[in-house]
Parts: sequence; structure tokens; C-alpha cells
Amino acid sequence: MRRTALAILGAAAATALLASGCTANVNGGAYDDLSKKETITFWHGWSQPNEVNAINANIRAFERLHPNITVKSVGNVTDDTINQALRAGGDSAPDVVSSFSTDKVGLYCASGLWTDLDPFLAKSGIDKAKTFTAPTLKYTAYRGKQCSLPLLGDALGLYYNVDMFKKAGIARPPRTFSEFKADAEKLTVRKGDGYRQLGFMPDYHGYATTPTNYLGQWSPTYLDARGRSVLAKGSAVTDMLTYQRGLVQALGGYDRLEKYRTTFGDEYSTQNAFHVQKVAMQMDGEWRTVNLEQDRNVRFHWATAPMPVPDDQADQYGKGYATGTTIGIAHSSRKQNAAWQFVKFLTTNTKALVSFANAIHNVPTTYASLKSPDLDKSPTFRTFVRIAANPRSSTLPPTLNGSQFALTLSDFAYRVESGKVPVARIREGLKEVDHQIDLDNLQAEM
Amino acid sequence: MTDARRRAALAWIGTHALGVAAALFFVLPFVFLLLTSVMSDSQALTSNLWPTSWHWGNYAQVFHTPGFLTWWRNTVIYAVVGTVLCLASAIPVAYALAKFRFRGRRTAMVLVVSAMMLPPQVIVIPMYLVWAQQFHLAGTLWPIIIPLAFGDAYSIFLLRQFLLTIPDEYIESAKIDGCGELRALLRIVVPMAKPGIAAVGLFQFFYCWNDYFGPKVYAASNPAWWTLSLGLESFRGAHHTNWNLTMAATLLVMAPVIIVFFFAQKAFVEGVTLTGVKG
Amino acid sequence: MTTTTLTYAGKRRRQALTTLAFLSPWIIGFAAFFAYPLASTVYFSFMHYNQINPPTFVGLRNWKYVFTEYPLFAPALWNTLWLVVVMVTLRVVFGLGIGMLVTKVKTGVGFFRTAFYLPYLAPPVAATIGFVFLLNPGTGPVNRILGALGINAPNWFNDPSWSKPALTVLALWGIGDLMVIFMAALLDVPKEQYEAASLDGAGAVSRFRHITLPNISPIIMFAVITGVIQTLQYFTQPTVAGNLASGQLSAPGTMVPPGYPDNSTLTLPQLVFTLGFQNFNTGAASVIALVLFAVAMAFTLLLMRRRSGLLTED
Repeated sequence: MRRTALAILGAAAATALLASGCTANVNGGAYDDLSKKETITFWHGWSQPNEVNAINANIRAFERLHPNITVKSVGNVTDDTINQALRAGGDSAPDVVSSFSTDKVGLYCASGLWTDLDPFLAKSGIDKAKTFTAPTLKYTAYRGKQCSLPLLGDALGLYYNVDMFKKAGIARPPRTFSEFKADAEKLTVRKGDGYRQLGFMPDYHGYATTPTNYLGQWSPTYLDARGRSVLAKGSAVTDMLTYQRGLVQALGGYDRLEKYRTTFGDEYSTQNAFHVQKVAMQMDGEWRTVNLEQDRNVRFHWATAPMPVPDDQADQYGKGYATGTTIGIAHSSRKQNAAWQFVKFLTTNTKALVSFANAIHNVPTTYASLKSPDLDKSPTFRTFVRIAANPRSSTLPPTLNGSQFALTLSDFAYRVESGKVPVARIREGLKEVDHQIDLDNLQAEM
Repeated sequence: MTDARRRAALAWIGTHALGVAAALFFVLPFVFLLLTSVMSDSQALTSNLWPTSWHWGNYAQVFHTPGFLTWWRNTVIYAVVGTVLCLASAIPVAYALAKFRFRGRRTAMVLVVSAMMLPPQVIVIPMYLVWAQQFHLAGTLWPIIIPLAFGDAYSIFLLRQFLLTIPDEYIESAKIDGCGELRALLRIVVPMAKPGIAAVGLFQFFYCWNDYFGPKVYAASNPAWWTLSLGLESFRGAHHTNWNLTMAATLLVMAPVIIVFFFAQKAFVEGVTLTGVKG
Repeated sequence: MTTTTLTYAGKRRRQALTTLAFLSPWIIGFAAFFAYPLASTVYFSFMHYNQINPPTFVGLRNWKYVFTEYPLFAPALWNTLWLVVVMVTLRVVFGLGIGMLVTKVKTGVGFFRTAFYLPYLAPPVAATIGFVFLLNPGTGPVNRILGALGINAPNWFNDPSWSKPALTVLALWGIGDLMVIFMAALLDVPKEQYEAASLDGAGAVSRFRHITLPNISPIIMFAVITGVIQTLQYFTQPTVAGNLASGQLSAPGTMVPPGYPDNSTLTLPQLVFTLGFQNFNTGAASVIALVLFAVAMAFTLLLMRRRSGLLTED
């Protein structure tokens, strides 16, 4: 046996010498000549037919403007694919990449996987602060490096069933969280140990009701100027968690709600709980307006409003959580000039942005396109445009560690809503969460 | 009736009652899956056990899911190519370990057993980096197929156990007739070891067919290389379906395995006993 | 005409070359797919490497992080331990019970054997999805039936204290492999021993304790140890069950943190995957991989000691 151990050790030592860390960095650059014919590859995540048609229409419009650039687009690309391709580099890697999440912006900016766009912006004479809406500029940059730009945004608001509101004698959507709780209770009809109809499904594992989405209503500060987690400092997170626990208990308790939640259909199917009237109110993004309009079985009246705000911030009603799609240029691309032309077109051309926004019901991300008269005027959609444009709307800060801090917070939040952590211990627990987030960020530091 | 006969009858009833109860535990899940798979969208979200209307079209709909046939093709490629490569490389190694006398044979067996017991997660990170960065094969199934051409430890071990049961005299007499080792292996040993090879081949086939971790690491990022396991995992979320279609897809993924089993029952039982009992 | 008269030394050299040729696929495979990555994992456990920028040496920082700072390590270790103790034990006991049942059944042996064996073959992803549905608190048939019987059924995969028992039920459903092994072992027990004991007036329990158990104890040991090693690799079922039960969108390319509900289904292999391929924390992932390696090898050595039959010739 000892001889075996020695043999393994020897083999290990020998191979350790070979195990040099290999880096995937293939350095590209902006060396391409725009007067020559070029083909660039563009990866995006859109997959529904209406979305693909809309992005393809924009690509064709771009190619008409730049006849010597051809764009080869690949749809339905996930973040995982992007990660792998960017890390691997090489010829098969894309030139332009867009991602639905803002999670990786910190890492992509800091590591240089996405090229810094500030020089390109300067060359094209674009003043980014005057062009893009303020919150969207924040989630596309990391530590002052603008390595991506916003390409349409999402905002979260409240969908409510007007018929159910009428029946319950509620005149208008709730504006403060105490109104919200009262309405949710009024709209709840219990049946046995379940529900015939639920006012609102608050559970953090629900469709869009994640802790960080909710938190947009409380305007929290996640990190201080030095990048340290400060969840326990302000009252936002403590208030939100305390409120959540109260709401869960008022609506029948965590176990009962979770059991009811397992009878919900898939979020994006026509069996979505709001579509089939299992719930009277739902927090959701602007894309739901399209789903509801297209679902022929939705025969009730519904409307949209901003999510309510805490009672002590009643004057700030109208704000919400905002996020969006990001687009960047791969560091490995050798055609960065052409790639920039394309990115510039998609993110700043008002006509392109507005037609795209109308087609897939996302919120435009430049001031000019928000003011455009061509933007869809339907009131249910306009609610979200206003939320996105509200200066108090907020999003998650990009970090080197992606959304790890959000996951750590969520883990704690689950334990509060289910009653495992008593309400009195929330602030204490948040201090531990802060400490943990700092440790994790330190570990990710390069 | 005598006492002994009455007792025997009671024992019969007791054993078979237990057997039926146990059989229900094993069979009922299949029945419920089948019943749910033909329900309507909205009924599948109730706790009804029996379909109010039968929607056999659900199966057709699953077949028409974008990608479903691609997942089938990829799974077949992985399982067939993987099994062939695995057998081709494992048979000579197992033969050498079973029948050759050489120094370090015991050490070699220790290493085979160690490799067999190694959780794949232990080595996956460096392996992934090599396949992705040096060979640019991330996003395909090749990183899990190619290693099978270099002797899978589990198959080597099982084959060796089987080859040990073949008497040396047959091989010796072949050599006396002028056969080299290779010809002795191909002419004498392989035909005699057919049941063992079949069992090991089936095991490898099913391992690949059912594998989830390997495809998840290497192919998850590229839908063109998804296997049935990956496609099925995301079926509910990615295609916005509900339990009825998900269950139909689940049964369609289970079906081929069960069909193969009925054709190759004997080889299976042979293989399972090989893993534990003989040796 | 040539005569091939080989000297003794030449013969031995040829023999050695033949051996080497036959073993060569495995030697290459072992070096490339075992020794190299293992050494590389050791190397990375001392490096900070985000798989983009070149690795930098950080000493024991990753080790300290995993053992004292990483919040998911303790629950994953605890869950793995729970599964090793409860799931492996129940599987062995249940597998032995079913194996005995099959040897006792006189009528319909073929049916019973097939019925008990088939679930083992169901692809794990499919079986797990099936069970998440069956045990779904709101729409699943199991809770419906339990409810009709007046039993207050748990929320299974949606309740942190019931998710591991739910996984255990799934593991018991796929008991077919152990059943066949135990069946074969039970049939190998010499009949004369039972007959002699019966003549001495030994009851069923006493026969089981004094004849069956000693005869099959090596097989039980084998089942336990391989069960432990399988549990150390437990990835598919908890990942799929957690994702599906959480109700979050989980296409293979999207990142859903494992462990739902409340990290109760988190296992060490899932941590390697999450850290290595979702957080790109190569160093910490390598540390956990090495922990897995150490535990797996300890049990493997135990197995080789106990069952030297694995290594000997007959």
C-alpha cells in the first residue's frame, strides 16, 4: 500500500509541474478598417418569435446603414454560454454579446473580458450622462469602467385584478405597504387549509417576489463607498424583512402559502397564477403586459400600478426596482470598430430603441427614446416606463462577485419569512450577513 | 388441514401480501405519472388523480418541442460511441490485469479501484479547464466521450472480475497452437466472455444514457449538444409547460431504458451480481 | 525459413512489452484523467484563479475560506453526513428486505422481481422530476391520498426538514441494484445450514441472526461502503429536485443556486459545481474537491481491506 501511495505522489509531483495555470486571454483590439467588408457575430438571449423578429429587424436596419458590415446573430444564448465563450476566446467567440442579467458586469469589467467602452463613446462624441438614464448607467459600469451599455430595461410594478378589487370594494391600488397588507387580506378567500383566492403571494420563492426585487421599494443601500456591505446599517432591509414576516402571517402562515404556491403553473405559461385568478395582485415586470394581452383565457379586467412604498416614504410612491439587458464587446474581438458601430446603433438610435421596446414591451433606456412620441402609449405599459424613469428607482450594485451578496441576503430572508429567525433578531442577523458578504467579496478580489 | 399445511398457507399469504404492498410502492409512481401525463393543463394543477378527459396529444406535443429530437440524437451518440470506445479499450486492459503475471499488478488493481471510486467532481475543474482552454471543446459532449477511449475504471474492474472466471487452460492451449496474446484474446477469450462483455456494455450504455453531471458541466451552455437529461431538467421552465407535459416527457425518457431492459434482462442481472458477489 | 528461438531475457522483455501494450490505454487514461487533474486540483487549491486572469498564489487562503468563512460548507457537510447515515442505512436494510421477500415469494416471481428492479433503471433526472411531482404538496397524488386517509402530510421537497427524507424515499424506490445483489447472496447461503438449524428448533428470527447474517455480512459491508461512496457523489437528484421544487426557472444555462429549500438539499459535489462553474472561485472549489477525495479514498481503502477479494485472483 505504501508503494502505491508513493507512486501516486510521484505522478502527482510530475504532473504538477505541467499544471501551469493557463489563461484564455486572446487579445483583440480595434484594428479593423471600417471601409472594408466585415462580418461580426452577435449573441443575444431572445428566443420568443416576437422578440427574435424584433431584434432581426433592428439588425437589418443597421446593415442598411452600414452596408459593409454584416451581422451574424445567434439567439437564445444563456449567461453560461457567454461565460464559457468569453473565457475560451478564439475564433468561435462572439464580437458583441448581450446578457439579460447585470450580475456579471462587475467581473467582466474588472477582468477585462468586456472592452472598456468609454474611449469609443468619446470618439463618437457621445455624452453618456446626457444620453442614458441614470440608473441604467450605474448597473452597466463597475468602478468607473463603462464596459457595457444598457439595451432596454425592465421595471417591476403591481398587477391587479380589477374585478376582484371591485368585488372586495377596493377603489384604487394600494400606495403604502399598510394599505397593501389590508387589501391583500381583504382579497383573500380561504378554503379548507388552502385558498379559493389569495390577495398576494409574498413568498420570496414566488415568481418575481425575490428579496432584492422587493427591496427596490425601500430604496436600500447595499454597499458603502468602500464596497463594504451595510445592510444592517439603514432601516430599509430590517423594515422589509419585518414587514414580510407580518404579511406572511397575516395571509395564513408560511406553510399554507408555500403549499398553495405549489399549485401554481409555470411562470411564463398561461397557467400563471395571476392569469388563472389564483391571486388578485402580483408583482411582475412590464413583459407580463404582453403575456396577459395574448392569453385568450384572460377575460377579467386587469391594470398596473407602481408597487406600494413604506408608510414613512409615502411621498415617494411611483418608484420601483429597475434592471435591464446589458450589451458589451468581447475583449477577444478583432473587429471592435465594427462591433462598436453596431452597439452604438442598438443602444442609442432612438428609432431602433423605440421599435424594439414596442415590439417586446421593454422600457427604453435613453432619455430621447423615453420622450419619443412613437413609444407605445397603452396605460398598462406606460406605468412601467414611469417607474423606470423615476429617479428614486434603484437596482443592484455590480460587484466583482456577481450576485453572490444577493444570494447571501436571500438565504437569510428565507429564514425570516419562514419564522426560523425571529423578527427581534433581524438586525443582529443582518450584521452577520454583512460580515459574510464582506468575506465573500474579499475572497473574490483579484 | 394439518397444522404444517395451514402454517405454510398463512406464510404464503403473508409473503405475497407483503410482496403486493411492496410492488404497489414500486409500480404506483409509474401509474400516477402516466395518468397525469394525459391530463389537461389546468387539471394537472389540481390534486385530481384521474383524468377528466384524456389528452394523448400531449405526447405528440412533447415530440414537437423544439430540440426534443436533438436531445435524443445526442444521447444516442454519447451512449453508443461511449460504449464502443469503452469496451474496445477496457477489454485488453482487463485481460492483462486478469491473466498476465507482472510486477505491480496489485498496485495497478489498487489504482483501478481508486479511480473507480473517485467522485467525478474531484477532478472536474482542471479537466474542464483543459477541454475548454486547450482543446476548445466546451459546449460539446466530446470531453466526456473521449476519455472513455482510455479505459473506464469501472468497466475494467467488472470485466476483470468476469475474465478471472475463465480457466487459464483455454488460453494456454490457444497459445500452444501458436496464438499470440492478442489472437488468444480475440479468438478465445472474447467469445467466452460474451455474457460479461454484454453486461459491462449495457452498464456503460446506461451510465451514459442517464448521465447528468458530465453533460451539465460540458454541454449545458450549448443547446445543440444537450442530452435528454439536460433537456428534461429544463423542460418545465424553458418551455413554459405544466405537470402534464412534463410527465409525458419524463415517461418518454424512461421508456427506452425499460424497453431495453425487457430485451436484455439476463445480461443485467448478470452484471449486477458481478459488481458485488463474485470476486 | 526463420526460427524464432528467443532467449529467456528476450522472452521476458517481449512479455513486458505485450503487457505494456495491453495496459497502455489505461496508463494514458490514468495519467491524463486521474493523476494530472488530481495534481492540478491540489495546485489550484493554493491559487486565486477566476478562470480569466492568470492564477496567483494565495497560500492557504482558500482553505481558510472554505473551512472557516464559506457559509455553505457546513450545511453541505451536514447534509452529506445525514445522507450517508440515514439514506445508506435505510437503503441497505430495505434492499435486504426486498431481496429476502423475492427469495421467499413462490407465485409470480418474475413479476415481483421485474417490478422491484425496474425503477432502478429510470434515468435519475426523470425519476427525480417524477417524485417532485408525486410528492408535490399542492397537486401531487401522494399528499392527496395521505390527506384522504386523514394524515397531515408534510410539504416534502418544499420543507427543509422533509426534503432529505423525500430524497430518501426516491433512493428507496431505486433499490433494484441492491435487491439483485442481496438476492444472489441469499441464494448462495448453503441450504443445509438452514435445515440443520430447523431441526434444532431455531425460529425464523434466530435463523436470520445466526445463519443468514453471518453468511451475507461481506455483501452488507460491500453495500454499505459503495453506498457511502455513491452518496459522496450525490449530485443529480438534489440538484434537480431543489431547482424544480423551488419553482425557479432552471434552464441548464441559467444559474439557480442549489440547496432549496433553505440549503437543506445542498451536498458537497454541488458546492464544487457552484463554486467552480458559477462563481468561478476555482481555489475554493478545488479545496472542497480535495475534501471529497480524501473521504472517498478513506472509504475505498476500507473497502479494499475488508474485501480483499476485489484485488485477489479468485
